[in-house]
Amino acid sequence: MKLLRMFLIQTKAHFVWYFRRDGEMMFWTLAMPVFFLVLFSFAFSSGPNAGSSRFLVPGIIGAQVLSSGFWGIGVMLATFREKHLLRRIYITPMPPWVFFASLVVYRMGLLAAQAIILVAVGAVVFHVRIIGNPIEILAILLLGTATFVSLGTIIGALARTTESANNIASILTVPLAFLSDAYVPIDRFPHAVTSALRLLPSTQFIDTFRDVSVYGASLTHYGAWILMLVLWTIAGTVISARTFRWV
Amino acid sequence: MTRRESPDAIADRAIVVDGLVKRYGELAAVAGITFSVPRGTVFGLLGRNGAGKTTTLECCIGIGRPTAGSVRVLGLDPTRRRELSDLRPRIGVQLQATSLPEKANVREVLELYAAYYGIASRAEEMSERVGLDGKLDRQIAQMSGGEQQRLALALALQHDPEVLFLDEPTAGMDAFGRRILWGEVERLRDGGKTIVLTTHYIEEAERLSDRICIIQRGRIVAEAAPAELVARYGGDATVSIAAEGFAPDATLGALGVWTQAGGGWKLATRGEPGLALAAVVTHANTLGAKIVSLDMHRPTLEDAFIAITGETIEETG
Repeated sequence: MKLLRMFLIQTKAHFVWYFRRDGEMMFWTLAMPVFFLVLFSFAFSSGPNAGSSRFLVPGIIGAQVLSSGFWGIGVMLATFREKHLLRRIYITPMPPWVFFASLVVYRMGLLAAQAIILVAVGAVVFHVRIIGNPIEILAILLLGTATFVSLGTIIGALARTTESANNIASILTVPLAFLSDAYVPIDRFPHAVTSALRLLPSTQFIDTFRDVSVYGASLTHYGAWILMLVLWTIAGTVISARTFRWV
Repeated sequence: MTRRESPDAIADRAIVVDGLVKRYGELAAVAGITFSVPRGTVFGLLGRNGAGKTTTLECCIGIGRPTAGSVRVLGLDPTRRRELSDLRPRIGVQLQATSLPEKANVREVLELYAAYYGIASRAEEMSERVGLDGKLDRQIAQMSGGEQQRLALALALQHDPEVLFLDEPTAGMDAFGRRILWGEVERLRDGGKTIVLTTHYIEEAERLSDRICIIQRGRIVAEAAPAELVARYGGDATVSIAAEGFAPDATLGALGVWTQAGGGWKLATRGEPGLALAAVVTHANTLGAKIVSLDMHRPTLEDAFIAITGETIEETG
């Protein structure tokens, strides 16, 4: 009961302090992805063409999962450490994992809101339909979130300052989003390049998520990539757990 | 180092630090510190910035891991995970430079910390105690540094801990904040709590501490009650007088050592300087000597600090 109350109040605090009272954060979280969807839908075709939008809706959601892990978890943790907030919390009886879990759940809430808005705009403006099995869609989304939360936590563990965490997250997020089938189809690159990019967890996640959600593929055909994502998650978790310092 | 003490003697000590060493690479921030704090007393760690006060305190609360030596707080070893878990609810800590989330308000922070300790929020009561009444809805970003420090104090106190650690608690506070903090410390001590505070304000250490430990470059150079430190290291009290035709007689001579300096006389005495001063004035009046200047100096903790460490506490030179 005590743990649950801690967790709920902490999660609400994250939401109120870092989202509801932060206009910039609200704009970046809610408006920017929609802006990207609209911009790229028109840029990649001559009009509201369901083809490119259908590619973009899951792609942008996938890119948000990526940046949630790297920025929302990784950079956030480095900031908390630099401001001595982690050490202040470490002194209290709250188990550190409760704090971590509340941060992850808060970010998952934002992701859900982003996904709903993108799907709604995609459906209304660009006639994109989500035709996949909802349980499979949710499963691959959760697995992708786990992967990028665990990889993002490594940033939070290794970066000594907010600034260096920011730099690492930028270096990772921007190229990964553009080289992982999020905004631009990578099959237009030379075959060798495409094959190499398919080794990235971001590509594996975004492609699987797209195929399952808007193309109606079954998750059972993606065993190899799911296994890869699970391995990435395990690696990320092990490295994070070994290197993370609360104080 | 391996002093054996009876269990009773250990039980009435809230904190026992024995041979504590903390190295950061080559640098020894703490180079072998031993002290203990009886329950219900205030223990002041006094020293310059960088002397090792904060590092010592961090080792007591489980933030720093000792390189060598041992620490026990309420009989628990903060380096052991299980014992640290048992210890956490029983201690309160005000750290230096904790920055709370800018968009949080006073009430929310107190509610959150109440949840951390599994207690009902005492936001109203705590905000009054630290002089933040009427400011429950104020956001951290709109509060002065001193107000944030007072909120940090409230967070340390809200769960009514047995032992309180205050790291430079009044740094950056105005006179109002200092008065509140000092009042709280005195009130908590009267309520039987144990308090460890680090400070580089001599006045603060002297006013609040039952015992003061002076730390210099990671070592303890003196430890005693404030009055004892002054008596032992503060040197003689002095009475200086410049008066035409004044010279001490035998009665005054018995009070201490007289020297002639700068056109006047100076008495160094171990006795009560107020009485000596009265005797000097009476004698001057009897002689009909017109007093030009008169000065009395009672040794202070600052004199003792300088005598002990060979330096002033502020880094002026």
